[in-house]
Amino acid sequence: MTHSLVSAATLLGLCACGMVGIGLYGLIVRPDALRKLLSFNILGSGVFLLFGVIGRRGAAAGLEGDPVPQAIVITGIVVAFSATALAATLLVKISDAENALPDAGREEDEA
Amino acid sequence: MSHVLPPAEGINLPGLLLVFAVLLPILGLIAMLGLRALHPERVARVVAPLGLLLACAILAEVWEGRSAIDYTLGGWAPPLGLKLRADGVSAVMLVLAALVIGAAALFSQHQFRTPPDAPGDTRAPFAFWSMLMAMWSALNLVFVGEDLFNFFVALELLTFSAVTLVCLDGRATTLHAALRYLLFALLGSVLYLLGVGLIYGRYGVLDLALLSELAQPGPITLAAVAMMTVGLMAKASLFPLHLWLPPAHAGAPPAASAVLSALVVKAPFFLILRLWFELLPAPYSPLAGQLLAALGAAAILMCSVVALGQSRLKLMIAYSTVAQIGYLFLVFTLTAGPAPFAGLGWTGGVLQLLSHALAKASMFLAAGLIAEDMGHDRIADFSGLARRQPLAIFAFGLAGLSLMGLPPSGGFVAKLMLLSAAAASGQWWIAAVILAGGVLAAGYVFRVIGAAMKDRDGEAAQPAATLPATGRHALVLALALLALALGFVPLQPLALFAIGRGELAQGQP
Amino acid sequence: MSAAGLLLAAAPTFPLLLGASALWRGARAHLLRVLPVAPLPALAAALLAPGGSLVLAPDPLRLTLALDLPGALLLGGAGMLWSLAGLYAARYMAGARHRTSFTLWWLFTMAGTLGLFVVADLASFYLAFSLASLAAYGLVAQERNPEAERAARVYMVLALLGEAFLLMGFVLMAVGVADGNPMIAQALERLPASPWREAILALLILGFGLKMGLVPLHVWMPLAHPVAPMPASAVLSGIIVKAGIIGLIRFLPFEAGAEGWGTALVVLGLFTAYYAVAVGLAQRHPKVVLAYSTVSQMGVIAAVLGAGLAAGDPRTRTLAAYYALHHMLVKGALFLGTGLSAGQRNGWKRVVMAVLAFALAGLPLTSGMLAKYVVKDVFAPGPALWLVTLSAAGSAALMLHFLHRLAHAAEAKRAGPVLLASWLGVGAASLVAAWALFPVVTNTSAATLFSPATVWKASWPILIGVLLVLPPLRLADRVPHIPPGDVIVWAERLLPRLRRLAEDVERLDAFLRRWPVAALLLVLLMLLLGAALQLSA
Repeated sequence: MTHSLVSAATLLGLCACGMVGIGLYGLIVRPDALRKLLSFNILGSGVFLLFGVIGRRGAAAGLEGDPVPQAIVITGIVVAFSATALAATLLVKISDAENALPDAGREEDEA
Repeated sequence: MSHVLPPAEGINLPGLLLVFAVLLPILGLIAMLGLRALHPERVARVVAPLGLLLACAILAEVWEGRSAIDYTLGGWAPPLGLKLRADGVSAVMLVLAALVIGAAALFSQHQFRTPPDAPGDTRAPFAFWSMLMAMWSALNLVFVGEDLFNFFVALELLTFSAVTLVCLDGRATTLHAALRYLLFALLGSVLYLLGVGLIYGRYGVLDLALLSELAQPGPITLAAVAMMTVGLMAKASLFPLHLWLPPAHAGAPPAASAVLSALVVKAPFFLILRLWFELLPAPYSPLAGQLLAALGAAAILMCSVVALGQSRLKLMIAYSTVAQIGYLFLVFTLTAGPAPFAGLGWTGGVLQLLSHALAKASMFLAAGLIAEDMGHDRIADFSGLARRQPLAIFAFGLAGLSLMGLPPSGGFVAKLMLLSAAAASGQWWIAAVILAGGVLAAGYVFRVIGAAMKDRDGEAAQPAATLPATGRHALVLALALLALALGFVPLQPLALFAIGRGELAQGQP
Repeated sequence: MSAAGLLLAAAPTFPLLLGASALWRGARAHLLRVLPVAPLPALAAALLAPGGSLVLAPDPLRLTLALDLPGALLLGGAGMLWSLAGLYAARYMAGARHRTSFTLWWLFTMAGTLGLFVVADLASFYLAFSLASLAAYGLVAQERNPEAERAARVYMVLALLGEAFLLMGFVLMAVGVADGNPMIAQALERLPASPWREAILALLILGFGLKMGLVPLHVWMPLAHPVAPMPASAVLSGIIVKAGIIGLIRFLPFEAGAEGWGTALVVLGLFTAYYAVAVGLAQRHPKVVLAYSTVSQMGVIAAVLGAGLAAGDPRTRTLAAYYALHHMLVKGALFLGTGLSAGQRNGWKRVVMAVLAFALAGLPLTSGMLAKYVVKDVFAPGPALWLVTLSAAGSAALMLHFLHRLAHAAEAKRAGPVLLASWLGVGAASLVAAWALFPVVTNTSAATLFSPATVWKASWPILIGVLLVLPPLRLADRVPHIPPGDVIVWAERLLPRLRRLAEDVERLDAFLRRWPVAALLLVLLMLLLGAALQLSA
């Protein structure tokens, strides 16, 4: 029982690391902003998963589960959601502005 | 751990001040949201002086008591509950934030006035005022927080409001700048959060005061600090992670640029300071301190040169911000020794932060006045400006004194202290960089003043058309004079900046 | 707080307050006419308050004023020249554009220089020095034409470099002092034992030498003097360069002595003295010739200071200040007179100008003879003394060349009674001050100066100098023309290279600001920082 739990936590931890890696990779190399945003979300999910693993470790010690990481994850998800919403709004506005004035702002960057 | 428990009964009045410092702008925001009939700029006119009063009260309390103010929210002590704490530096930062935000609010009364007839476009004014309030609350939370995750939330709120302010005019250029700012800041946030996760996993605690006792120099702790520091560096725009700052700060409305450059990039730096001097087991590796200082030195040299080459005033000021942030990071190698907070390096670093904030706010607002008058901010076409806007140019020059590090100015005293600390510890390369940075800063400031003093051809015959001075000119001048007034602090470690610090160093309540 | 102390405080603050009064529109219009009055408190302080002192702000700020004899000499001379040049300026600039900005720069420069002679602590000294340096930028740039812009730019770069050297030197002197702002005297006492003694002296000599215009840091003077308005040139050459001298007087450890640095200063000063004469003879514009003459004279003073430093002779302070006072007034009068007597082939104005010009070479009975007589005491018999004596020949040659160029310059247009009075006033002041102060400075009667031997000693170098320039030698006509500012022309050739370097930096910055680069650097920095933190002890 204990043995399988530990390995589950380890597995989740490895998954979290994988997601962080994928997210970082995407955030660095993807030129278009929408993909960067998606990569950010993957990266964020990886971090939240890590918090889940940390909370789970308390359970391994016989507790019900550590509430602090859970609170953090919930807050973090809200923050990430707001960030995504804000970025998406900006993307829409940029596309509006560029449709109105096709050449404006192009020279700035590729973000 | 008995000392972290709050006083069981009775009201901790000074502590409540901290709560109000965070809550007051939020109350303002709610008033703006709920009572649209009360124009938001009027709400800001009430909230700003109240906030300044509050910050001054906190500062006075800290100074009178010669000790930090603690407040435990709801009586729940960490590790489960949250604690607020204002030591000497925090209290000063609260006052600084109130001053700069108050100045920005006064400056923008006209620009972001709600149109008197109801159907007018109220979105931009509303966004400006509400985001300003949100930003203020977030800043105060960073300055009085104690909990690593709490900092994360405050930083995110700060970033979101800052991003919104950047793209207030809705042009594609500023939207791009805002998006770039947001994405890079998010990357920094995630790294910070990752570090928080590691710390929690290792110690099961997020309260800084508790952590400063528990923390061991193990690989997990150090890796977490590295992650959090680099994440915060991205938000503080330390070279070479400054890609977002120049377009964002140059594109925002002048009042927003002032707040962004003066305060928003300082908040993550403030957190790095706290991480390194409270979380990291002392003494931290000198090599790591030198790495940060080296990045700061590179920022000073490179970005000052780039600022020299800018053709637009606001971009020049933005690059100057990146360069000036570099000075802050020199602190990490100038505070070695058994009593870092009693040394000149610490005081010089904090003073540099304060004087740059005031001077840069004044500069951005002056640039706003100039751009409003000229209709552009191309430095090459500034001829005749000194006649039209003598006060704005004068304020720009006074603020420039602080950036150049010439007396009498806060920047001068700060650089003098940093130089002394560098000399006393034999770090000559830092001294050389500080001096070179001063000369380069003089170069870009005088370039603007020289251009403004030129006369347009054929203008000689015309009488001097000096524009009437307004309250906004007085405001810009007042900020510059405040930066100047900081030049009259004594040339020795300030006791105020060490209040609440010695205790931490000794691990006592 | 004594009356003398208050007078000292008024010396720099009165011009500052006048400057601040420009905030009121009503005061602004009359400010130019008030210029002659602004330095009067300083003049009064110099006459009444030597020995007085005042602590402006107690510990821990310790802003302190004090007036010793060298300070009083320079303060009095500067007050006199500022006042009379102000009278000149009030008339000269009356109809000029930008006269308000001129007045303000003038007042701030004045406050800085006057403050410099009375401050006694390190921080105030740096403050006054910076104020004088920076505000003088406005005087140089006053005419706002391309030449003035170039001169102002060169001036600014050099001034800022000088400030940086001085700041570092001051920081090294102050490190370890409890309140961070020692009195100058206290800093001097600590200097011989300082672990950074050599570095401090090098930085001080660089910083102050730059302000004095020691070769090769002299390049701003020949550019700045011809483009500034006439009264501004007079104070630039008369007073601003003395900021460097008062600096060396105050900060060189004459009590302890420093043989190596003293000798170096003698060599540098003598080289400057001769080099400036040689280049000055190749100049066409009379104001440029005067500028090179200033450089040469500053070289002589540097040599005097160097000799005193090498010998460890504290009297050097007073003697050098006396020489500087003479040069201050004579050079001021020469510049003011240039505006009045240019283009005139004969007449009494030309005679007065000739007397003033040869006073610089030590003409008998003028302040120049007294000053040269006095400073020779500092030198031990030897080659340095010979070279200093012979430098008067160079001065005479240069001054004859100046008179020649002056006569061929475009004719001066304005010569009202006010302008003439202020010019003659400065000239007369040089005589009166030199004779009146001679006993004070030397403790001997002035009667010794009338002996034929003394007069001959002063005269023969002048004769040699005159012979060099007159036919058949015609030295001035044989030297090829050298552009004003000499070595700056080479330095300016490096500008494109610097600009390219700046462009490279901008390109590097643009590269670093690309998203993938910055994001990758972020990860890299994280790894680096993590590794660096692991290396903790």
